[in-house]
Amino acid sequence: MRILLDKFSKSFGDVRVIEDMTLEIKDGEMLALLGPSGCGKSTTLFAISGIHKVTGGRILFGDRDMTGVPSQERNVGVVFQSYALYPHMTVADNIAFPLRIRKLPEAEVKRQMEEMANLVHIEALLNRRPAELSGGQQQRVALARALVRRPNVLLLDEPLANLDAKLRLEMRSEIRRIQLETGITAILVTHDQVEAMSMCDRIAIMNAGQIIQIATPQEMYRNPRTAFVAGFLGSPPIAFIDAVANNGMLTVEDADIRLPVPPNAETPPDGTPVIVGIRPENLGRDGDAPVRGRVSFVETQGRENLYDLTLANGRVLRSIQRVSDDVSLNDEVEWRVRSDQLFLFSQNGERL
Amino acid sequence: MIGHLRTWPIVLALSILSAPLVLMYAYLFIDTVTNSPPRSFIPNEFTLEHWSFLWETRPGRPSIWRVTLNSLLFATSTSALVIVVSSMAGYVLSRLNVPGRAYFLAGVMVLHAFPAITLIVAIFLVLQVVGLYNTLIGVILVKAAIDMPLGIWLMKGFYDTVPWEIEMAGIQDGASRFTVWRKLVLPQVKPGIFALGLFAFLLGWGEFILPQVLAPSGNAQVLSVYLAGLIADDNNFDMNLFKSVGLFYMMPVLILFFFFQNRLMNIYGGGSKG
Amino acid sequence: MNASRNIAEPARAPVGAWAAPARVRLGWLNSSKGLGILLLMPALVLVVLFFLMPVVLTGVFAFTNMSTATGITGGAYQISPGALRVLTDRHGMGDLAERLGQPTYVVDDRGLAALEEMGIDPGIIAGLRRQYSGETYSSRREFERDIRNLPVRPDTRTVKRISEVFSRSLGNARFRSSTALIAAADAIDPDLTEEEKEALTATTYTGWTWTNDNFRRLATSRDTTRVFFNTLFFVAMTLTLFNVGYAMLLAITTHYIPERPAGIFRIIWFLPRISPVVIYVLLWKWLAWDTGFISAVLSNFGVRPRNWMLDTAANAWFFVILINGFVGASMGMVIFASAIKAIPESLFHAASVDGAYRWQQIRHIILPQLKWPILFVTCYQTLSLLTSIDQTLLATDGGPGGATEIWSLWVYHTALNNYAGNLQYGLGAAMALVLVVIGIVLSLIYLRLFNYNALVAKPRIEL
Repeated sequence: MRILLDKFSKSFGDVRVIEDMTLEIKDGEMLALLGPSGCGKSTTLFAISGIHKVTGGRILFGDRDMTGVPSQERNVGVVFQSYALYPHMTVADNIAFPLRIRKLPEAEVKRQMEEMANLVHIEALLNRRPAELSGGQQQRVALARALVRRPNVLLLDEPLANLDAKLRLEMRSEIRRIQLETGITAILVTHDQVEAMSMCDRIAIMNAGQIIQIATPQEMYRNPRTAFVAGFLGSPPIAFIDAVANNGMLTVEDADIRLPVPPNAETPPDGTPVIVGIRPENLGRDGDAPVRGRVSFVETQGRENLYDLTLANGRVLRSIQRVSDDVSLNDEVEWRVRSDQLFLFSQNGERL
Repeated sequence: MIGHLRTWPIVLALSILSAPLVLMYAYLFIDTVTNSPPRSFIPNEFTLEHWSFLWETRPGRPSIWRVTLNSLLFATSTSALVIVVSSMAGYVLSRLNVPGRAYFLAGVMVLHAFPAITLIVAIFLVLQVVGLYNTLIGVILVKAAIDMPLGIWLMKGFYDTVPWEIEMAGIQDGASRFTVWRKLVLPQVKPGIFALGLFAFLLGWGEFILPQVLAPSGNAQVLSVYLAGLIADDNNFDMNLFKSVGLFYMMPVLILFFFFQNRLMNIYGGGSKG
Repeated sequence: MNASRNIAEPARAPVGAWAAPARVRLGWLNSSKGLGILLLMPALVLVVLFFLMPVVLTGVFAFTNMSTATGITGGAYQISPGALRVLTDRHGMGDLAERLGQPTYVVDDRGLAALEEMGIDPGIIAGLRRQYSGETYSSRREFERDIRNLPVRPDTRTVKRISEVFSRSLGNARFRSSTALIAAADAIDPDLTEEEKEALTATTYTGWTWTNDNFRRLATSRDTTRVFFNTLFFVAMTLTLFNVGYAMLLAITTHYIPERPAGIFRIIWFLPRISPVVIYVLLWKWLAWDTGFISAVLSNFGVRPRNWMLDTAANAWFFVILINGFVGASMGMVIFASAIKAIPESLFHAASVDGAYRWQQIRHIILPQLKWPILFVTCYQTLSLLTSIDQTLLATDGGPGGATEIWSLWVYHTALNNYAGNLQYGLGAAMALVLVVIGIVLSLIYLRLFNYNALVAKPRIEL
């Protein structure tokens, strides 16, 4: 079902957390609300679910205005970070709870509950209590409970934050599989860009109560609208250096670097101070603009090495390259930047 | 242990300080099943005669079993009432958005500290006017009301430990707030309710002044009033009998305390009356 | 078993089955406000009935002269000898009192009608009406002599019956309302002034009335001062010596000994608190009475057996404070012990490395940590000691000779239980009111001390 937040605002007392936010989630898509903590993404989720009342604006499910409808009637499935399983009930009862609340006949409850347990692969755990399950299993139960009543939309609030690294990888693909199989509209709230990029159809990146950019993961990575977005996506993260536009070139005066203006940006007038963003994969042996500096840090990641390159002015660029033995710590090197992959931002972070 | 000083002098000093108490409680047991010669405290015979009150009703006094039943009724009803009222009100104070919630909470704190016993004259007169004087119901209501602020306070604390997400999940699952409380939250605080119930039971079981003033005689007499009456009767002084009745009366307390000592100590420490 | 069947069956995408969900049937209580008020209701009712109303009523009763004699629901009007004495002495209406008090016979139509109903010889009735109608006698003999002088002379028994019918005496008569009283008095003395009527209703009323005598008595009575200082002494001594002092001693000493004996000592000192108060005090009596343990032991050294708890005021105080203190010590012990337990081990170790002796550890590490717990215990116990009654009532009952009478016990003796049998509810309520006011003030201070705002977290579900 299509979800639309129309000029939605939320304040707590005098504090405006979200102001005039408009966001559309298409039917059947999985959208990530990505942002640092405190950016308002959880508040948005609570507003959709109805746990919080909105201060202004409308929330539409399909064509129905849900703004004043109580939580229970919105039929929103939520998976919480802590899973919030009912500790005193068995897995089966946990999953069946939403159905029993709806007073479905017991045979139907059992059928749907088992179908859902099947879907999330926890058939063997039905008689256990939540305390007897691993984190990943609890996660599956929480998913089953959220999905069993065929919700209009599935909200996932940092669902992977409490899992260890290996389980996180596994559940990432599991959640996506289940979402695709059921075709449900889903919103994933996360501060982890890897989760957002790997699981979702689109990402809405938020900061300070505002949506900065909505795009597919690829598009957002390739074409960030602001320095904030560029900085948030990518691991290892993008590096920024200050430069000044000069005769169609960007110069970093005290580091003796001159970079061409990338084709994706307009040439700023001479003397304009700008910020140049260079992703680690675009600094290396091949490229067109030379950059000199000292290798100040080397981290081996197996297939690739990650280097910190300290420039003459003290700023640090990052480079990720195939492993080779010819560079070691404290070497003075001259590497190259692929200038067509640079991002150019104004002083206040807007893309130029 | 902390430091490297010897601990035995402390243990010795504490033992001496504790001796009177130990002596008193030891003789509470000893005197119920033995006789000692006059002026001596070394028993010279074993006997069960002091326990005859269990099967012989003393003239002018109700049967011990009747009185015990009253005590049981009094303590369990008070405890049940406290549990019900506190688990309801405690939830509101912990979780619900009602106008003036902060004032209710402040009120509960004030009532918790407020010595309700000072109101006994007024309560005594009111019970007389409404006809609940000398009835168990009257004194049960009063005792429950007096214990209630502590109950609400404790229950609020128990509810505070239940994660909000459980309630949110319940609401998303379609349950009304009432159902969420009843089916999802209440089961989480069961241990707390049990502890509170136990505590209220013991408070009721030991209560003396309220039944003494509000229901001293007739069919409503409880064990504490019965025993105090026995002791106050100057014509029939029999310390062994008093102790036997006393031990009989205290048995449930000792048993409950033996099994649930840690939980009870915490509640007592958390600020009960007295 | 079901699970294995389901595993065998591959999970299909249930897109087709993704039908419209069953509708939620919301219970009738879903708003925070509605549910909240409903759930609070029983507590509110109990608070109103057993806290608010009694507080107000204590204040109300304090301004009455309610007692066993006046009853509590209201009274009647009775021209008792006592009331007439008051009328004479306090209102200077001796004449009125005399008139009301003496027997009076009035030959009126009411009496004559009554005679007819009794079936008295009509000749007698006619004679009475003709000769004496309207006459008033203040002596029975005079009236009966006149009856015998009637033309139809009744026999002696009938004379008595007739005179009785005309008796209009008010002595010891009881009236339901003041109107009935005044009507009856008017019949005897039709010239009553308004002032006299007022005085009459006031003095003959047997129910309770409004007064501020209770407070005047409290303010002027010597007992007040004595009981006040008794209470102060009791609270101060018990609080400092036991509820705080001894509790701290127990908490600190048990901290320095191995866990096992420490646990045993804590349980021993918990016994007084969990024991029903009647038993607990009984054990002390066993210790102190003239046939008790102390007397028996000391008799071996030639000391005369006696009731050590009640033989002198000093001994009585000694036991009262001990009995109350042993109960109070356990609360402080638990609170202080858990506060000490919360002190990080490393602090102690650092101190021992510094060569601090135990005393210095106590002085510089433990005591500073106990500041708040001590304040808490002091506040709390002050209130409960001020109003404590059970232990002292059962132990000394205020004796010997009122030496250990504390305020709460005084209230009890005045209003709820005394030897004279006349329970003075009004006076007792005035005494209790003093405690109620102190109680309210102290518990408000208590509230200020423990910043409760921190406890009121904002609800996170806005429904």
